[in-house]
Amino acid sequence: MRVLKLSKKDENKLYDVLIKFGEVWAPVPKGSRYVFDKIEKKEDLIMYNEFIRTILPIKKFLMPQELNILNFKPSKYEKPKVDIPTRVIVGVPPCEIHALNILDKFYTTDFVDNYYMERREKVIIIGKSSLPDEYLFSHKTNTSIVEEGYDLFFIDLGDYYLVWVGSEKGDDIVRLGSDIFSEDVPVDVAKDFVAYREKRRKAFTKDIDLEGVTDLMELMYDADFWDEFGEKCLSCGQCTMVCPTCTCFNVIDEIELNKDEGHRRRYWDSCMFKDYSLVAGQHNFRESRAERLKLWYTHKLKAFIGHFGSPSCVGCGRCIITCPVDINVETVVEKLKG
Amino acid sequence: MKKKPTLGIYGFTGCAGCQLSLLDCEDELIDLFSAADIKVFYEAMSNNDDEALVDIALVEGSINTNKQLDELKEIREKAKVLVAFGSCANHGCVQAMALGDGKWEQRFKQVYGDAKFTVAIPREAQPIHKFVKVDAFIPGCPPSKIQMLRAITQLLFGNKPTYTNSPVCLECKFRENECLLNDGKLCLGPLTMGGCTAPCPTHNTPCIGCWGIIEEANHIAELKLLKEKGFKTEEIIRRFRMFGGSEIVEKIEKLLEVAK
Repeated sequence: MRVLKLSKKDENKLYDVLIKFGEVWAPVPKGSRYVFDKIEKKEDLIMYNEFIRTILPIKKFLMPQELNILNFKPSKYEKPKVDIPTRVIVGVPPCEIHALNILDKFYTTDFVDNYYMERREKVIIIGKSSLPDEYLFSHKTNTSIVEEGYDLFFIDLGDYYLVWVGSEKGDDIVRLGSDIFSEDVPVDVAKDFVAYREKRRKAFTKDIDLEGVTDLMELMYDADFWDEFGEKCLSCGQCTMVCPTCTCFNVIDEIELNKDEGHRRRYWDSCMFKDYSLVAGQHNFRESRAERLKLWYTHKLKAFIGHFGSPSCVGCGRCIITCPVDINVETVVEKLKG
Repeated sequence: MKKKPTLGIYGFTGCAGCQLSLLDCEDELIDLFSAADIKVFYEAMSNNDDEALVDIALVEGSINTNKQLDELKEIREKAKVLVAFGSCANHGCVQAMALGDGKWEQRFKQVYGDAKFTVAIPREAQPIHKFVKVDAFIPGCPPSKIQMLRAITQLLFGNKPTYTNSPVCLECKFRENECLLNDGKLCLGPLTMGGCTAPCPTHNTPCIGCWGIIEEANHIAELKLLKEKGFKTEEIIRRFRMFGGSEIVEKIEKLLEVAK
């Protein structure tokens, strides 16, 4: 791994380098929040100082909300030909890069999801560290620091960014942008880096005690509080859509009017919806809202460990600020801890 | 050549916007008329064959007179598959916003006084499933083009149309909107059947529930939440009722109890 410097004086030249690799996408304001959007003008590429939590996580680039996956006729079927652009995603926080690593495992272990992979290969991740806000708790999920999964990673050290190179693509970028990325990184930079890390570590305020939660999920599976949450839940499904590690989708076939052809559409589904667990014969595995909530939290805090070695919550805090009725990792863990 | 399925498109009380939405599918109209033998289309044709037996009847509008009720029953007898087409037929829509409050006659008198009705005797607006067996439904006020054509295609193939059994919130989040409930707005997204692609919240306007209530709607939780946010019970209930039609009637008593 290499590390370079980008002086803030040269920050405005970054766009010109990145655009040579593909479309540039970065957080832009939307209401009181941010969304990853395509950046058309170099002055719109802003490296925000504060922690940016976009409404939807970067999974939207890799498994779009809605996707046509197949065109079919009686005689043949084919994958729609789509031109997937290379997208350089700037300003991805560490917890989201962890989420990306989780998605990679999910979509490549046992079965490789080609729709995911063809998009994954066309994404360049430019990560950025920033001080946490009051909802981020990635320090509790071991996802506040990132060591892999990015192409470049920026750390703001005052007058300059420390730029870590995490992949060959990242290396290509710094080589092409050699007039702004400096290799002059003296040893005493380490002091500033350690001081920044320490400052950042101390800046986390959201205190969610996740220790032992995996075991508690098992022990508290029949606790009454699940029913209380079930009564409060609006079944709006926002939690699953904003969660950076939720992957569920539905697939339906649609036929064109008066034509012998159709297409197969894949779109985000939510385990909070009743039809999600509805099977043939009208049996529903999770009839009640409480059962559905249990499924989700089991998946986030427990079940994923068995398959992939770590829980799938990355502490981004989206469920905390999104759920209108405050059912989130924080309130569930509070109840688990009694 | 295989005989085309016959289709009748009928209209009762409503704005006729559902039929209009179908007419608005300009690019697909030729396909529709090629795929089906259309016997009745009140809004689009002058030579309607009212006596025709049809494979599929799309019925728009609520039942507001005794005459309509008789006609509806006749359509039911003539149709193999009867489909409630749009919000009025499905649950009564805005004309049923006060359904079941026991004051219909009083309101009617206020508006029409002692006027004599001879052709059609008016009655409180009701959705069609209150009177006849409904085999399938197409939600919407009006139905979206995509969902409507998909449903009609499924019907023409002899299948039951699928609909979006997820709330407006799904598509609202697809479009990456902030949650209006969190912004303190009286949004009915979580209670409302999706499929509309959430145009209102996307333009920062709360959902008013025009596609009708979704099966999983948790009105009690939403009522409690909105009260916490400072809305008055009457305002919340009025909004629930606006497009709630017959679906909300049975929930009202419980909701008022909870509100106390």
